[in-house]
Amino acid sequence: MPEIYPVGMAELRIARNPDILAAYGIGSCVIVAMYDPKTKIGGVAHIILPDSTGIAQERVNPRKFADTAVPLLFQTLSHAGCFKSSIISKVIGGAEMFPPTENLTNNIGTQNTASAIRALEKLRIPILAQDIGGRCGRSLEMNLATGRISLTVLGESVKEI
Amino acid sequence: MQDLSELRKDQLDALRELGNIGSGNACTALAQFLNRKIAMDVPTAKILPFSEISSLLGGPQEKTIGIFLKVMGKISGKFLLLIPEDTGIKLMRTLIPKSKANKASDMDDFEISCMREIGNILAGSFLNALSILTRTTMLNSLPAMAFDMAGALIDTVVADMAAVSDHVLMIETSFLESNEDLKLHIFLMPDHDSLEQLLCQLGVK
Repeated sequence: MPEIYPVGMAELRIARNPDILAAYGIGSCVIVAMYDPKTKIGGVAHIILPDSTGIAQERVNPRKFADTAVPLLFQTLSHAGCFKSSIISKVIGGAEMFPPTENLTNNIGTQNTASAIRALEKLRIPILAQDIGGRCGRSLEMNLATGRISLTVLGESVKEI
Repeated sequence: MQDLSELRKDQLDALRELGNIGSGNACTALAQFLNRKIAMDVPTAKILPFSEISSLLGGPQEKTIGIFLKVMGKISGKFLLLIPEDTGIKLMRTLIPKSKANKASDMDDFEISCMREIGNILAGSFLNALSILTRTTMLNSLPAMAFDMAGALIDTVVADMAAVSDHVLMIETSFLESNEDLKLHIFLMPDHDSLEQLLCQLGVK
């Protein structure tokens, strides 16, 4: 039986076929999922904030920020035996949950996805799919047998990317 | 400021007491507003790592109404009210008996506005008690409302606290109505810089 490993906020986790990596109730956070179809190893980073710049180095938890979590996930996967050149990625989340009128959240969701995509481009990791933005929370499960991600949004049927 | 995980027991106790006083006031306000008896659970003050936040309440995927306000003043922070969908509908129907909405997603503008007003009243009465206790003025912004999975509502609210800390302080309380299950949860999250000020005003620096 495949195990399901949930990845909480500011966590980063890798696993291999036939297991499943999951993240539930994602709002403004962004999920970067990477997968190597050759070794069937994949990983998920549950990122809270866009940018670690300006924060004292010793206090930075690299798994929290898009600019540091993306390279860390890439590195972790390659240490686990993935082929760097065959790793692909998918980006999910980064919603703006509350109406923007009160300017309560500084567009954190939009900033998160933009920064995650920038970090992936910098490492030349192809982004195969994305489901980002909007005003809805998301839940996902990545099946490491195939790299497919099933995505749930409240009130909508499950979709695969 | 020390890391949140280093807070002493007496400091946590003081914060819990703060939650107690604020919630007591909010509970009274809600009971008067609804003209019903509302009971209150003993509040908790918890220091939680980010990875555990979304498993609060009924789990990250629980359908929830979130009402979110900013707390402004010398002591600033965030105030989040989480109401499970069924409780939200019951509350709203108490105020608008003619309402036809059975689901939060069916609420019209007037009904949404009514939910926001509930948030406004609860936050206002909670913060009012805190203002008196800490001898500082605390004001709340206008409330914003969203309906979604609990985890998704919480992560947006705690995001900017994540920059400086791996933990978040939550003062949490629940209300219950005696014969009907009316559950709602109040979270007060002081900003990192305000925590020291708050502890100082409470005499437990």
